[in-house]
Amino acid sequence: MIEYDETEKRMVFKLVYYGPALSGKTTNLLRLHDILDTEGRGDLMVLDTKDDRTIFFDLLPFFLTTPSGWKLKIKVYTVPGQVKHDATRKAVLQRADGIAFIADSQLSEIRNNFQSFENLEKNLTFVGLDIATIPLVIQFNKRDLQKIIPEEDIERVWRPTGIPIFFASALKGWGVIETFQMLLDKTYDYIDKRYSLQDVHGLSKEEFIQRIVRKKAMDH
Amino acid sequence: MGNKQDIQYVVGKEKRLKDLISESELSPLLNSALKAGICNITLKDDTGNIIVEAKQEGFTSGLSCQYTLTVEGEPAGQLLITSDAEELKPLADLIYEALRSIINSNLKRVLTTEVHSSVVTQSYEELLETNRKLKESETRYRDLAENLDRKVQERTEELKKAYTRLIQQEKMASIGQLAAGLAHEINNPMGFIMSNLSTLQRYIERLREFINTQAEAIRKTSLTELISSIEEKRKVLKIDYLLQDSIELIRDSLEGSERVKKIVSDLKGFSHIDDAKISIIDINKEIDRTLNVLIHEIPDDAEIVKEYNDLPGFRCNPASICQAFLNIILNALQARQQGLKLKISTYYKDGMIHVIFSDNGPGIPEDIRERIFEPFFTTKEIGKGTGLGLTVVYDVITSYGGGIDIESKTGEGTTVKLTLPVKGDGDV
Ligand SMILES: Nc1ncnc2c1ncn2[C@@H]1O[C@H](COP(=O)(O)OP(=O)(O)OP(=O)(O)O)[C@@H](O)[C@H]1O
Ligand SMILES: Nc1nc2c(ncn2[C@@H]2O[C@H](COP(=O)(O)OP(=O)(O)O)[C@@H](O)[C@H]2O)c(=O)[nH]1
Ligand SMILES: [Mg+2]
Ligand SMILES: [Mg+2]
Repeated sequence: MIEYDETEKRMVFKLVYYGPALSGKTTNLLRLHDILDTEGRGDLMVLDTKDDRTIFFDLLPFFLTTPSGWKLKIKVYTVPGQVKHDATRKAVLQRADGIAFIADSQLSEIRNNFQSFENLEKNLTFVGLDIATIPLVIQFNKRDLQKIIPEEDIERVWRPTGIPIFFASALKGWGVIETFQMLLDKTYDYIDKRYSLQDVHGLSKEEFIQRIVRKKAMDH
Repeated sequence: MGNKQDIQYVVGKEKRLKDLISESELSPLLNSALKAGICNITLKDDTGNIIVEAKQEGFTSGLSCQYTLTVEGEPAGQLLITSDAEELKPLADLIYEALRSIINSNLKRVLTTEVHSSVVTQSYEELLETNRKLKESETRYRDLAENLDRKVQERTEELKKAYTRLIQQEKMASIGQLAAGLAHEINNPMGFIMSNLSTLQRYIERLREFINTQAEAIRKTSLTELISSIEEKRKVLKIDYLLQDSIELIRDSLEGSERVKKIVSDLKGFSHIDDAKISIIDINKEIDRTLNVLIHEIPDDAEIVKEYNDLPGFRCNPASICQAFLNIILNALQARQQGLKLKISTYYKDGMIHVIFSDNGPGIPEDIRERIFEPFFTTKEIGKGTGLGLTVVYDVITSYGGGIDIESKTGEGTTVKLTLPVKGDGDV
């Protein structure tokens, strides 16, 4: 949690899209931005990219007000994937309340996925978060491409971990909402335990998710 | 809630409207708006407090347009523009657009600069380049920035800070590497020296036993002449003393080796500069550790007086605290070459750990006292001081919510007093 302010009745949470460089983290946020209604969310801020790679981070904020009158803000960040920006990744991870790990499905990227996941484990420990309890989902992105890791292989390796796995093509727009929704689902449980969203604030999980994942009405 | 002191920098801290806008930045825009016929412009934050206001003299009422300003997409304030003519609506829209753009680009700038000054990941040149690009994207609103000079200055200040940390980090990193390298080099020979000494100790014991048995056996024979000549020789060569002393010599050497081992492990501990782990430490121990690292810098005739009292554990990143102690002690060592007396005292009182370093150096001249915390301020010759020592001390100590106070009398010495608040367990 980034902020908890009794007087202003405000809680600010942080979700982080983690993963190797160019796996499609920014594209995921772009899709969320396109698909979701402007009500309840802010603009996507893509912080200065150089050669099309994220140097800093991207940010897409969501807001809602609980029945108890508190303001909830969920800030969704991406981290820069390149190895050399580890310090920025740590700063983005600090105080995170949930993580979506975006892996690149291409066969050539197996090693990078693995390294980035290891880096995530290391950095979580570094910022004092527990990988076993923090909400975590994994998305295998770029399923629209040809030379990709077969689904069975991914299932075999990752299912036993119990971490929810999603297959997606951020470019085409599928799998993105599902990933985000599951992340919100797990995050709700995580923060409900600490801040009693249901009991104290009267905010149910269904409502929490519905208010954030509000699809744009198609205009004809 | 979260224990802010434990965290040096978190991406995501909330920004308010007034963090992102300054009156000086806006005044050119507001002034030209008034000249163009707008009667009143008021900017309020989300709680209704006025951040900036500009109005035409004699203004009473008119047609109003209201706009909501957002920060990160969330309503953060209201802009109220009043004019006396319908035709001015496009102008009001334009002002709103300009303001929105200023807020957004300032937000970007603040966020990126923050990442840099707190998390040094890029070189100074890359940093400059990024800032240059950010500024280019603002070109459209250049004409608003009559006070460009000032902004550049502010920005340079921010960059300078980031640069300061970069240099200090590099400096610490190289000290750390050197220390780690030395530690490794020393550890190897130390290993066999210690093991050889213990073996030697056992050998001597056995030799002594053998000599004694032999002497005993000879004494039992009737070879009087032989006995007396051997005993004579034994006295002359001081064999008994020699045996006794060898044992002591070896014991002392073993003790000495233990000490070397300890210093080496201190060096190693010290070199862990980038493991920014927070742990609970004993400040007294950390000061000793720092002194050990500096052992070869301390002249023989220097007198270091320690007055340590029991302290509660302190929650921090040990490397950063050692870094602060190191910088203060180095300053004292550099302040006086001969006859240095440095007193280090610690005590705990009312939730505060006090650490006091007092030297008998020349003191800090009154006219520079205000400047010693400035980055790059130094009175030392080129190559000797970078002028970052106290800047870093200040940064480190304040990052733990502590305070630093320097008292100095010219010709008598300098006293650096640190206070560090001890808090209950944070929940982070
Ligand atoms: N104990 C002291 N006695 C006398 N002067 C001091 C003492 N400590 C600091 N100063 C003065 O304050 C100045 C700034 O100190 P600071 O530690 O920041 O930088 P520095 O020692 O010059 O360089 P660096 O520590 O980066 O190598 C010093 O140049 C010196 O003039
Ligand atoms: N084919 C394909 N390309 C994708 C997909 N998602 C992202 N990309 C491309 O991969 C590149 C890197 O994406 P980006 O979102 O910037 O990666 P980031 O570094 O993780 O933020 C871009 O060229 C995207 O268009 C996908 O699902 N399929
Ligand atoms: Mg990106
Ligand atoms: Mg110094």
